[in-house]
Amino acid sequence: MSNTKHLTDEQAKDIDENIAWAKINKDVLRSMENPRMGYWVALAFSVCLFGLFIYAEIYQYIYGMGPALLNTSHMWDLYISTFVFWIGMSHSGTLLSAILHLCHADWRKPIYRFAEAMTTFSLMTAGLFPVIHLGRVWNFYWVMPYMSDRGIWPNFRSPLIWDAFAITSYLTSSVLFLYIGMIPDLAICRDNTTGWRKTLYTFLSLGWRGDDAQWRNFRFTYLMIACFLIPLAVSVHSIVAMDFAMAIMPGWHVTTFPPYFVAGALYSGCAAIMTLFVLLRYFLKFEEYMTMPIMDKVCKLTFVIAMVWTYLNLIEFASVWYGHDIPSKEVLMAKATGPYSIFFWGMMVFGSVLPFSLLSQTVRHNMFAIFFVSIFLNVGMFLERWMIVTPTLSLGYHPQAFNVMWPGWVEWAMVGGSFGWFGMLFLIFVKVFPCVSMYEVKEMVYHRKRTTFADVDEMMELHTGVPGPAPKTQETGGS
Amino acid sequence: MSGPAKKIERKTKRVLGLFGDFDQAFEVIADIRHYKVPGVTVDDVTLKSPIEHPEIEDVLGERPCHIPKYSFVGAAIGFCFGFIFLASAQANFLAQPQGGKPVITIPSNIVLAYEMLILFGVIATLAGFIWSAKLMRKREGLYDAAVTVDQIGIVIEVTDDTFQPMKDLFKKHKVLEVHEESLT
Amino acid sequence: MPSLLGNVFKGWADYSKANEDGGHHDYEHMYAMSIDLDKCTGCNACSTACYAENNLAWVGEEKFGARQAMNWMRVERYFDEPDVGEGSPDSLERGASFLPMMCQHCNGAPCEPVCPVAATYHTVDGLNAQIYNRCIGSRYCANNCPIRVRNFNFYDNAPTAWPAPMDQGLNPDISVRSKGVMEKCTFCVQRIRGASDKAKREGRELKDGDIVTACQQTCPTSAIQFGDLLDETSEISKAWKRQQVELGKYEQNKENPEMRGYRVYEELNIDTKVLYLERVREV
Repeated sequence: MSNTKHLTDEQAKDIDENIAWAKINKDVLRSMENPRMGYWVALAFSVCLFGLFIYAEIYQYIYGMGPALLNTSHMWDLYISTFVFWIGMSHSGTLLSAILHLCHADWRKPIYRFAEAMTTFSLMTAGLFPVIHLGRVWNFYWVMPYMSDRGIWPNFRSPLIWDAFAITSYLTSSVLFLYIGMIPDLAICRDNTTGWRKTLYTFLSLGWRGDDAQWRNFRFTYLMIACFLIPLAVSVHSIVAMDFAMAIMPGWHVTTFPPYFVAGALYSGCAAIMTLFVLLRYFLKFEEYMTMPIMDKVCKLTFVIAMVWTYLNLIEFASVWYGHDIPSKEVLMAKATGPYSIFFWGMMVFGSVLPFSLLSQTVRHNMFAIFFVSIFLNVGMFLERWMIVTPTLSLGYHPQAFNVMWPGWVEWAMVGGSFGWFGMLFLIFVKVFPCVSMYEVKEMVYHRKRTTFADVDEMMELHTGVPGPAPKTQETGGS
Repeated sequence: MSGPAKKIERKTKRVLGLFGDFDQAFEVIADIRHYKVPGVTVDDVTLKSPIEHPEIEDVLGERPCHIPKYSFVGAAIGFCFGFIFLASAQANFLAQPQGGKPVITIPSNIVLAYEMLILFGVIATLAGFIWSAKLMRKREGLYDAAVTVDQIGIVIEVTDDTFQPMKDLFKKHKVLEVHEESLT
Repeated sequence: MPSLLGNVFKGWADYSKANEDGGHHDYEHMYAMSIDLDKCTGCNACSTACYAENNLAWVGEEKFGARQAMNWMRVERYFDEPDVGEGSPDSLERGASFLPMMCQHCNGAPCEPVCPVAATYHTVDGLNAQIYNRCIGSRYCANNCPIRVRNFNFYDNAPTAWPAPMDQGLNPDISVRSKGVMEKCTFCVQRIRGASDKAKREGRELKDGDIVTACQQTCPTSAIQFGDLLDETSEISKAWKRQQVELGKYEQNKENPEMRGYRVYEELNIDTKVLYLERVREV
């Protein structure tokens, strides 16, 4: 109770339960209307960034992997770290839609749609990198298990093949989950739009009519797919972790990598949710739905996950420090004191120290502060991914192979361009599909109205002598 | 067969009542359940609403949902197919063994079969959803867009006799609009 | 399709055996090498010969310094630093130890299981083979090699390395690799195949000394020996027996500690096939 004393009673609620349902429809549909100039500028900027990506890829296609400044020791660099970063970002949607759904946390309802969209687009962005990091990109389809007439199959023992399978499954499942969750909303859009949008939504809503049989099946479908998606998300990032854990290199051959990566993924996903929350709330005027108390809860969730990540990080250091594996210890020492040390300590500060700012209520209730904190949390996570890949490769086992390497313009162009690709997809999504789930917000309002704590209020009155709030009347979401 | 043949009533009309007050709509269903309108059972009722209502299952009656069966079958097929496919592919690719590892590696096959379990499970669930919810079919009549905003609709197929009693029942519970259509 | 499934049951016992139990292969040969570090003078003739024999492209000083070179065989120099201090001329006079390093063709190679497209595998000759046509350049194999002996074609080096008419001097028995493909020492597999074919044409078995790798041929002190470990009469198998080094073990049981033979990174259980004879040091 005490932590909301800065807010009025009205403001302390996750959502105002007297909000009219027709208004919910109207507000969200309004967000999809013709955009202002700022939107087109942002879209153009994203397209230009993506163009930079295309240019760098064409350059690399023609000249080979050399311009990326890779060498015999550093065979992987920013491409793989960015790949892991984007896969990590994709766990946000699963966390919010699936895990919190099973926990009956209804405060997720106004915000999970854009988080799920972020998952899908992060996966599409991540999927670019295993392709472009190949030396012979044009043969990338050889990782698919098809009946070739030479009887050649991909090597299923390789964690990179597990990546291919896992990311395909995760992308398919996420897209389907996003789509199925949107069907009732697409029906709303269908009934309230004209022109090309109406055709699109009519096609996509599959004839949804709101029958009780449809709702019943929908409820079970959503629950089943959520139940599938949670172990899938854990397994996908564990498999990405096993790209490193299954190698013998010191600093990589660590058993805690799968849970460490999953914790890092949930962490960067939550930070990304915070960033997009602030942006969408401001630009699409969703203050009534993406409220301060919900952001408060997201911040607390992020803090908890940050502490889990910090623990797993420190545990890895501790087990290396107390172990007898000399190469691993030397890699750890090099991370902390060697040429990459400034980025290592940056990762520790942004990843483990900065989340403590989320404990302060002033920060949690200030959207501006949250925006910058969340961006730096993600910077910390990007540095973490880079710190996993590069120091091990710069040391390894063999003294002859010790080498320090810094990425060049080609790699940075690709990394920046991937943000352009993601931005492009997300901006288009925001204007074509409802990024707040209308029917779920109605459910949230409906259930909060129906709940009365009359018995609790009576007990409180008995103990404290202070009369409780007036009992809510059984009104419904009338117009 | 002894005894007089039962007269099977042919349904001639479909009526849709739109309610702004959800509790009143549930009262209508409760009334129908308790046979307040003779000739109409609660199994004939279809409820259209903007949100899901798991709480009225006890009023509306047990209606089965088969989605979990689709999920289970899909997942089982996915796992078995995944493992068998992988083991067969590895067993036929003997020309290139590797690095002290066996030809059919159980740990990696389990990981991949697990992914196939999830993928097939999700797709089977989706297929089950589209089939069970009767999506992607020609839309039956009597739909009002208000159902997607904030009103609940109750749709019942009635005969000519029960048509007026049904409308009266609706009016008793503060119906906002009544639509009807003839079934030909 | 039915045969696809049939094979699974036919050879299950075979298929589940790992390499230490003999694996799926019935090895016909087991090619191995032995390098006497006491005889090695660090002259780099082996490295040069490898360049000539295997169509290795020179990449120029800048790219070599950036470690984007194609040297399959490299001679590593390790300096013994006494307690004299770096600035003192005495420290350099102690001299270097030389370690010619190339692909060790490990029987438990860490590079083989991680290639996504099975472009590297273990042949019935005991060689670690790299299939250039199949490689898509994911470079996981190079990351997993503890000795970093795998070279990646970061550029299309051929046009700059062999401008006409220098391309007429290329070895026709071996391909020229394009960019995006991984390569490494093959124990001169073209010479191995050439010698086997010659022996078959002459209607006889391969005997020890038929196959001479380029580095072995060129070494002025004959520090490098090459042969078939499964051939009991070959010099190499006698050398391995004498040094009491066995395949399939990650810790050797040496009765005579003065035997100089050792293998690199045995503790990683990669089961390498190059025996190094330690330099005789003054006590």
